[in-house]
Amino acid sequence: MPESGIISVHGVTKEFNSATDRSVTALTDIDLTIAEGEFVSLLGPSGCGKSTLLRILADLTPPTAGTVQVNGKTPAAARRDRDYGMVFQQAGLFEWRSVRRNVELPLQVAGVAKEERRNKASAMLDLVRLEDFASHFPWQLSGGMQQRVAIARALSADPKILFMDEPLGALDEMNREHLQAELLRIWSDTRTTVVFVTHSISEAVFLSSRIVVMSARPGRIAANIDVDLPYPRTAATRTTPEFFEKVTQVRTVLHGMLAAGETS
Amino acid sequence: MIRRFSESATPLTVTLLPTIRGVTGMTATRNLSSASVATAGPSPGRGRPGWANAATLRNGLFSGVIGLAVLVLMAAVWEGYKALGQATGDRLLGIPFPVATDDLSMPNVGTILGALVEPARRGDPASLGVYLLGEASVTLREAAYGLVAGSLLGLLLAVVFLHLAPVSRGLMPWLVASQTVPLVAIAPMIVIWGGKAGLPPWMAVTGIAAYLAFFPVTINSLRGLKSPPQVQTEFMRSVGASRGQLLFWLRLPAALPYVFAGLRLAATASVVGAIVGELSAGTGRGIGRSILTFAYYYSNGPEKLYAAVLVAAVTGILFVQVLNLIERFALRNRQTR
Repeated sequence: MPESGIISVHGVTKEFNSATDRSVTALTDIDLTIAEGEFVSLLGPSGCGKSTLLRILADLTPPTAGTVQVNGKTPAAARRDRDYGMVFQQAGLFEWRSVRRNVELPLQVAGVAKEERRNKASAMLDLVRLEDFASHFPWQLSGGMQQRVAIARALSADPKILFMDEPLGALDEMNREHLQAELLRIWSDTRTTVVFVTHSISEAVFLSSRIVVMSARPGRIAANIDVDLPYPRTAATRTTPEFFEKVTQVRTVLHGMLAAGETS
Repeated sequence: MIRRFSESATPLTVTLLPTIRGVTGMTATRNLSSASVATAGPSPGRGRPGWANAATLRNGLFSGVIGLAVLVLMAAVWEGYKALGQATGDRLLGIPFPVATDDLSMPNVGTILGALVEPARRGDPASLGVYLLGEASVTLREAAYGLVAGSLLGLLLAVVFLHLAPVSRGLMPWLVASQTVPLVAIAPMIVIWGGKAGLPPWMAVTGIAAYLAFFPVTINSLRGLKSPPQVQTEFMRSVGASRGQLLFWLRLPAALPYVFAGLRLAATASVVGAIVGELSAGTGRGIGRSILTFAYYYSNGPEKLYAAVLVAAVTGILFVQVLNLIERFALRNRQTR
C-alpha cells in the first residue's frame, strides 16, 4: 500500500515503558506524508516527540502502533539498504579515523571497493568544502567542521533521504546560520529529501519547504505550515518582511498551542 | 558485588593483583573519558600527538631524569638509614630499628652494584650482572609469551561477556576468585600438571604468567568495548552495519586505550607470574631461580640476592616501557588527553 510520498506515517503511537504502570505516551496517532525532494522540519517544544518520530522513521526506535513506510519499505529494510543517511546532534565521528576515512565508513559497511570509496569521499568533502582537511583527525576540527564531516558521512552512500536530529543544536549562533545556508546549498545540489528536527522557529522557517508543528503531552501534529519563501534563500532572506511574517505565523501557532495546553 | 566488579575500572584491579610495587606505581591510569567534542578551532599544529617531535623528546628526557632521581633518592635513604643504625647501634631514643643495619641484613649499595660486575662464579669470566641479565631474558620471554596468551584470552573473554551478559554475570565471580586464590598455591599445581603432561617447565611458567595476565585485560577491555557513546553505536546501526562490523570498526578501536591500560597491569602481573612460576618449577632457568638460589646461600653473599632483585625490578620496568612504546605507536593518531 505505498501511498504517494517517499515517507508515509499512518496512525503511529509510541509509548515508553508501556508494560509498566509508569508508561509515558510520547506520540499519539501521527499521520504524515512527505513527498520526494521536500525539506520538512519537525518543530515543537521539548518533549513533543519530534525526535522520537524521527527515530521511528530511522528504525532506531520501534513504534508501539501504526505503520511506517520509508522509500516504499519498512524502516528496517530502508535502514539496511542505506536509503537514508542520519546526522545527530553530536557529530559522533570516530576519533581514530581521519576525516576521509570517517566519510568512507558507510561505503565500507556497504562493501564498496577502496578506490571507489576514496573518490566518493573526496566528492563528499568537496560538497561540504572540507577537501583540505581530508587527512586531519576529528579532534583537530571545530564543532561546526565536525558537523559538516558528519553531513558528508551521512551523504556518502548516496541516500535518497537525510534525517537530521537537531544537527546544529550544539553550535553557536554564527556557526549555526552559516551551516544553515550551507545545508540549503547541499540540499539543492543533491536533491535529497530532508527531515529536520529542530526547536528553533527561525531555523525551521529559513530551511524548510514545510514545517510540521508538533505539540507536547501527548505528542501530536498541531499544524502543517508551507513555507513559500523562494529558494535559493540567502542571508538576505532573513531580513525580508516575508521571512518575519512567516516566523510570526509559526510563532503564533506554537504559542496558541502552548496556551491551549495550559488551559486544558 | 558482581556488578561492581564487572563495571569497575583499573583501580580495583590494582588492589587485586600481587605486583612489584614500584612498577605498579608507574601505571597510573590516564584519563579515559569517552570521546569528547572538540571545540577549538582548526589548527593542524596544535598538540599533534607527536611520535618523535622536540616536545616529546624533552618530556621523555625529563621523565628519565625523574626516574633516575628516584633511584638515587632510594639509595640515599638506604645508605642514610644504614649509617644512622651503625652510629647508634640500631637504637634511637631507646626504640630499636625495625630492620638491623649490619652488612648481612643491609649490604652497602656500593657492594650490591659492585657484585654486579664481579664474576658470578669462581673460574667463570662472566660477571654476575651479565649472568643475571641472561636469566632475566629467560624470564622476560616466559612473561612475554604469557602476556600474549593471557591478553588474547582476556580480550576474547571480554568480547564474549559483551555479547552474553548472563554468561558475564555467572562467570565474573569465578574470575575474581581465580585472582584472589594465592598464586603460591596455584603455581605448583600448574607445574605438576604440566610435568605430568610432558611439557617443558618453561611452558608451565608461561601458563602461570598468562593466568595472572588475562584478568586486568578482560576487565579493562570490557569497559572499553562498552565505551562508545550512543551516537556512535546508533550511527553504525543507521548505516546497516552488521554485528561484526560494529565490533571491529567501532567497539574494538574505541576499546584500544582501555586495552592498553589493562595490558600495562597485565605486563607487571605476568612478570610476577613468571618469577613465582620459576620458584615452583624446580628446574629450569630464569631470574626467579636466581633469586631462590641466592636466597638459599644468603649468608655467603647477601649482596647477590639484592642484585638479583634489582635486576628483576629493572626487567619489569623495561617490559612495561616496551609496551608503552607500542601503545604510543598504536594510539599515535588520537588526541593526547
